[in-house]
Amino acid sequence: MSAVVHVPVRPRSTLRGLVLIAALAVLVIAAALWSLSVGAVPIPTQTIVNTLFTLDGEQQTYIIMKSRLPRMVLALLAGAALALSGAIIQAVIRNPLASPNIIGINSGAALFALVLVLVFPDIPQVWMPLAACIGGLTAAAFVMVVAHYRNLSAIHLALIGVAVGFVFEAGVDYLLIVSNDSESSAPMIWLTGSLWGRTWAHVAVSWLPLVALSAVALLLSYRLDLIALGEATATGLGLNVPRQRLLLLLVATLLASVSVAVVGVMGFIGLMAPHIARRLVGGSHRLMLPVAALVGMLLVVLADGIGRAIAPPIEVSAGILAALIGAPFFIYIMLTTTSEQDS
Amino acid sequence: MPLAIRFALLAAAVLIAALLSLIIGQRSDVGIGNVLQLLFVDDGSLARSAVVDLRLPRTLIAGLIGINLGLAGLALQAVTRNPLASESVLGINQGAALGVALALVFPALMIGNLDTMAIIGAVVAGAVTFGIAAGLGGRLDSMRLILAGVTVGAFSFAFVRFTFTLEDNLSRLVLSWTSADISAARFDQALPLLFWAAGGLTISTFMAHSFNILALGDGASQGLGVDPRRMRFIGAMLAAVLTGASVAAAGPVMFVGLVIPHLCRLWFGSNHRLLVPAVALGGAGLVLFADVVSKLVRFPYETPLGVICALIGAPYFLYATLRARHMA
Repeated sequence: MSAVVHVPVRPRSTLRGLVLIAALAVLVIAAALWSLSVGAVPIPTQTIVNTLFTLDGEQQTYIIMKSRLPRMVLALLAGAALALSGAIIQAVIRNPLASPNIIGINSGAALFALVLVLVFPDIPQVWMPLAACIGGLTAAAFVMVVAHYRNLSAIHLALIGVAVGFVFEAGVDYLLIVSNDSESSAPMIWLTGSLWGRTWAHVAVSWLPLVALSAVALLLSYRLDLIALGEATATGLGLNVPRQRLLLLLVATLLASVSVAVVGVMGFIGLMAPHIARRLVGGSHRLMLPVAALVGMLLVVLADGIGRAIAPPIEVSAGILAALIGAPFFIYIMLTTTSEQDS
Repeated sequence: MPLAIRFALLAAAVLIAALLSLIIGQRSDVGIGNVLQLLFVDDGSLARSAVVDLRLPRTLIAGLIGINLGLAGLALQAVTRNPLASESVLGINQGAALGVALALVFPALMIGNLDTMAIIGAVVAGAVTFGIAAGLGGRLDSMRLILAGVTVGAFSFAFVRFTFTLEDNLSRLVLSWTSADISAARFDQALPLLFWAAGGLTISTFMAHSFNILALGDGASQGLGVDPRRMRFIGAMLAAVLTGASVAAAGPVMFVGLVIPHLCRLWFGSNHRLLVPAVALGGAGLVLFADVVSKLVRFPYETPLGVICALIGAPYFLYATLRARHMA
């Protein structure tokens, strides 16, 4: 395991945390409403409210119900899932640079989901999250086994995860080229982390696992706090540390994999959301996890909305925007991590 | 094995790969028997035109970008003393791609021609990576250098995708270009590469002695009259220029600069006077071999070169990161 001790930032008062959660929830709702209104056809807020609550007055049922509402719901689900996944991974392997993307889970999930789509084009949607989970688990298992047997620095572990991601991405590129015909553009867009063309069918296959796994993650938050105290202390307090680590990593991997199956590779969300949440409420996971989930929702909904607002009718993938913001963020985290390690 | 024989074997491998790259294709009238005749005797046949006008430029480009990328990787590994360093891992490749993408999508930004834009992109990306790695502390932390480079690369590639998304007419090209499809290569792309490769080989040969001294460490090389900071600057600039020229001609080909210096070090030792010619030959050989594979793997369809190189190089990068335990 990494040498970096992940010092929990001083926990702040619960009241403050609750107020913050309420404020973030309001922000998420506002961002979601805004994302419903922007795009190739701008829709005024009044019309959206009318449509959603079937009030009298002007409505825009087709676009909202068929196109924008399902993708907004998916953005919320995926944002929360990636954020929780990142928060758990960072806490369990005690590495502030870790995230589902960095340790290769996202690419692994994408490769397996893509193989499924290309080999069995007619397979029902339901199998996609399953294939993605197998891919995500493969990548995570590899990185974890390496980390288990060798004493690696935080940065070296992140580097190995990145390399695992490269291997899977090379496979993804090859498959995309091999299937280079009319249907190749669809997986291409999906893989860059886009919510384009997502329908209620995607919501139907993913909401139950995502909600259930998120609930499990929130329920396990106190164990993350115990693990943060260090292995010896946590064991002394009665926690079976190896087993809990495995369970938590399993939940984190499945959360990220299912979200990849429906929204593609959305890099850096799982990295940014937990860091932002830690800044806001401190390191106590009971508060930090829900805040991270809300921040993740906010980031993905905003990325999706901004992607549609930049140059309509062209859509910029939310994943591209996430990478453009996330890469500098990652470098900032990396610079601060190393200087901690030096001192 | 004597050195001369090792070089001869490597050169023979390059020649065979080049010939295979010329022979393999969809025509049944070009084979081992007549390819040399078609190449040198103008009989006005369609087979001659296919070999000389279509396949030869592509073979040349494959060999030349192999030389350029191999030498770029060697220079970077020498000046950083980091076995994982190479143009694609340090984000230089992707920076060059960003320079080209910006020039294609926003013609107003174009400075000079596409080569210049690719080189500018490569230099900027390299400067950012080295800047981050030197970071707050001032010394070049090896793991941080690699991770910074990978992130700069990810950022540049996201930006490439972003610019291509904005330009609807180009978005269809993005897949073939970012995967370095050289099947449509022509002579006018190959000739500038020849110039860059010759320059790169000359400069690397002159620098080989300094690379050897630099391997002794910063302090020792300073004592021996080689300024490490100046060498780092020159080496990184050389790598950026060679990479930029290659990317402008063929698109980003990943991992060649990482794999080839490693393999050559296994076979030729760590003396850079031998490594420079060996890496040039090996780089040409690897990319020519990848070109042959790219024609064969789904015959009669072609698979872009970049995809083949990534399939070979990414697992090697993983292997190298696992092995890199205590880096300088």
